[in-house]
Amino acid sequence: MAESVESPEYNPAIIADSAAVPVTSDVDELSKIAAKIRQARPPRPCVQLTIQDGTLLEAMEINVSEQEKRTTQTAMGMKDVYTVYYVETRVKDGTSKPLGEEATSLWRRYSEFELLRNYLLVTYSHVVIPPLPEKRATIMWQQLSTVDNFDSEFIERRRTGLEGFLRRVANHHKLCQDKIFHGFLQDENGWKSSVNASGFQAKMTILPGSVNVNKQDSRLKSLNAAFRLKKPDKRFEDLKNYCTNLQNNITALLKLRAFFISYKDYIDDFMSEEELIADQLKEYASFADAVRSVCRKQEMLQYEVERAEENLAAKTQLRDQLQGTVPTKAFSWRGLSSKVFGPETDQVKEMKLRQVKDQIQEAEEQVTRTQKEAAEFVEEALKEIERFKKTKTADLKEIFINFSVLQIKIAKKGIATWMSTKECFEKM
Amino acid sequence: MADGSAGVTGEDGGDGFKDPLRMPSYDEDEDEEVDIVNFSRSPGGESAASTNALAGSFKIEAADVDTKDLFVTVDNREKHAGSFEVYITYRVTTKTTRGCFDNCEFAVRRRFQDFVWLRQKLTDDHPTHFIPPLPEKTNMRLSRFSNEFLDMREKALNSFLNRIAEHPTLSFNENFQIFLTAKELETHRRYAKGLVSRVGSSVKTTAESYRLKNRSPEFTTMADYVDQFGQKIGSVDRISQRIVKEQSEYHTEIAAFAPSFELWSDSETDVADILHSIAMCLEKCANFTRLENVVQQDDFGSVIKEYVLYADAMKNVLKKRDSIQMEYEQCLDELNRKKNEREHVKITDQNYSFAAFMGKDPTDVKQDKSNRLDTQITKLQKQLEVLNDRTEVANADLKADMDRWNKTKRKDIKELFTSWAEGRMKYYDLCLSSWEDVIKTLQTKKQDEDQLDSPDSNEPASETSDPEILEYPTQDT
Repeated sequence: MAESVESPEYNPAIIADSAAVPVTSDVDELSKIAAKIRQARPPRPCVQLTIQDGTLLEAMEINVSEQEKRTTQTAMGMKDVYTVYYVETRVKDGTSKPLGEEATSLWRRYSEFELLRNYLLVTYSHVVIPPLPEKRATIMWQQLSTVDNFDSEFIERRRTGLEGFLRRVANHHKLCQDKIFHGFLQDENGWKSSVNASGFQAKMTILPGSVNVNKQDSRLKSLNAAFRLKKPDKRFEDLKNYCTNLQNNITALLKLRAFFISYKDYIDDFMSEEELIADQLKEYASFADAVRSVCRKQEMLQYEVERAEENLAAKTQLRDQLQGTVPTKAFSWRGLSSKVFGPETDQVKEMKLRQVKDQIQEAEEQVTRTQKEAAEFVEEALKEIERFKKTKTADLKEIFINFSVLQIKIAKKGIATWMSTKECFEKM
Repeated sequence: MADGSAGVTGEDGGDGFKDPLRMPSYDEDEDEEVDIVNFSRSPGGESAASTNALAGSFKIEAADVDTKDLFVTVDNREKHAGSFEVYITYRVTTKTTRGCFDNCEFAVRRRFQDFVWLRQKLTDDHPTHFIPPLPEKTNMRLSRFSNEFLDMREKALNSFLNRIAEHPTLSFNENFQIFLTAKELETHRRYAKGLVSRVGSSVKTTAESYRLKNRSPEFTTMADYVDQFGQKIGSVDRISQRIVKEQSEYHTEIAAFAPSFELWSDSETDVADILHSIAMCLEKCANFTRLENVVQQDDFGSVIKEYVLYADAMKNVLKKRDSIQMEYEQCLDELNRKKNEREHVKITDQNYSFAAFMGKDPTDVKQDKSNRLDTQITKLQKQLEVLNDRTEVANADLKADMDRWNKTKRKDIKELFTSWAEGRMKYYDLCLSSWEDVIKTLQTKKQDEDQLDSPDSNEPASETSDPEILEYPTQDT
């Protein structure tokens, strides 16, 4: 059962003094006022993030605290039913107001979260972007034969996942400064247009499959997975392999668990806690995808470098051929064309040479540019990977601790139950 | 669930007879412990003084270890290859100070057939006593030759002989003595086979006990109690088996979980240790589950089984008692009928009787009939006395036995369930320690890492999680 949602706690003094509250019928205004006087919420069970210095999360609390079902009429007169989530922020006591306001709150639906994430993926391609919770429940308990996307428990868990996503973004030193991210938290109605205005979608094509990549990459996606890089970077190759393993291992574990029957009965009262731990593991399976997209970006860039280098080499060779410094091959189009059309005049040759020299210059610039881009990317990406690795280790350890603590709680409950039962028997 | 019987609500019967039984309604799905407490209530032990007076010479003191003078053990089974078959024998050891035995110590070997013979003899000799049950001949789950099955059988046979040895009447039975002492039981068995016990033949275990006119309420209560007890202990048996099944499933699941963690640890570096220790812990817990399940099945299950069989045996004995009483009542009816006939003959003339019709003098006919009836009546009266005695004896035996049985049952069941609860607590305790070990691994690892990390690392406060680890709740929330 979904826990009952906590209602905001209002300072009774302010309510009593109605003169202080401006009368307004605008819902936005009201919610802003409510947000101002709301007090800190007690922490709910969720992933404990280690708050990084200088990030948004240091100064603010971010909560996704409620959910609601909405029904709207589409243009064709059909009903569109979806869930919205209440995203609220609150400035922590004693810190400055990074968003310019004490507190914010608005409603967002899942697709808007997706939009935000896609924007971040494209804009910060060297960063491991935190994953979103699943849109539809995939690995579930065997006994559940149908997926109900409106099932209250599923929505509750999704809400926790969305909260975790926002917090992780807010906890990242670069991502948390992004204006679009701020807009997501603050600007309910105008946000969508500002995201689209950023033009990120031009760089993006939504492809079948889970990961959205740059448009340029789409051509390459259709190539062989090996990408035919001449010298793939071992670090990223290893990382990709590690991610695949991680994802497979976690998925295998969760799939196995989904078929447990007696295990489920054993966990019993602690089921929601256990599900939370399982969700946290699932998050890391999704993280693997995010890391892989960083690797893919590196491969793209390296591919560009190699292509540029190949281009340069080809042009250089062509120049050398024209200058006669290099003997032409036994068969060449020029040889053939000169036989058919007659040899080229010196004028033509000169023109061609000049052309090639210009092209070489362009190619050299291209090589420099792509190399620089690739190198910068690698530098940034490796830093991000390191950061991710540390976070991953800490998070996984915490997940395992939580799991062990859960088992201990269950065992303790068992002991207590049988202790009182034994006392009952002894009275016989 | 037993509904509508006398004992369900525990209220007074109409005549102020307070039913000492209070059988609560039993829901198989609920925790069974709650209702077991009421098992211990029983008839006979706490009812009217008249019972005790009747029980008189048969009243038994609670089985004191100090007054026990006959000790029997069954152990040390061996396989024997006879000419046509392979069979198992058990060593039956007896130690006693009783004068009726030639010696103080005996050790003989007996096979299962011998026990069956003994039980039959006891049933024949003492139809109105509760004879303890033998273990089942076959088991659905186990093979007859498996060690597990034979272990359970050995324990059950030990219990069987001990219950007999503690019984004040049964333990003095001649055949029991032969069983314990004779080197060769074959000869005695063959000898005894042809005889039909006179008691056994005349006792008709009919289903007509419901036609009894004056069954005293305590026997009705007794019969009802045994009935209900049988049902409930049967439920406990079924539930116990279900528990075994589910635990076995749980064991399989956890045992399958462990390799997933182990496999994962192969591709990790930092968290490999932890994953490995989780895998080990899961394996340990799986093992604890398996062991606890064996106990559940064998130790717990066998005692429950014994009482299931016991209840069945007792029902039959109670029916026999009913038959005995019915014989008595039939005789009484017959006697009264004959008496009435005689009265009738006295006052009527026999002018129109068949014999007068044939030419006999009516007065003579009258006299003849009268005489005949007199003889019959005398015979019936003698018979009635015998049957009355037999009924009284049967009643007394049963009351005493029921009393004893209840005391033993209470002790046995209490012990059984208490040790069961202790076993479960131990199981959870073991699991708890295993998981605490996992956390210790994590903690020591963290401490190691903290020492290795540079002070400027952006991994602060492993201390933030430590207090949470150490303070996991002692009570469930």
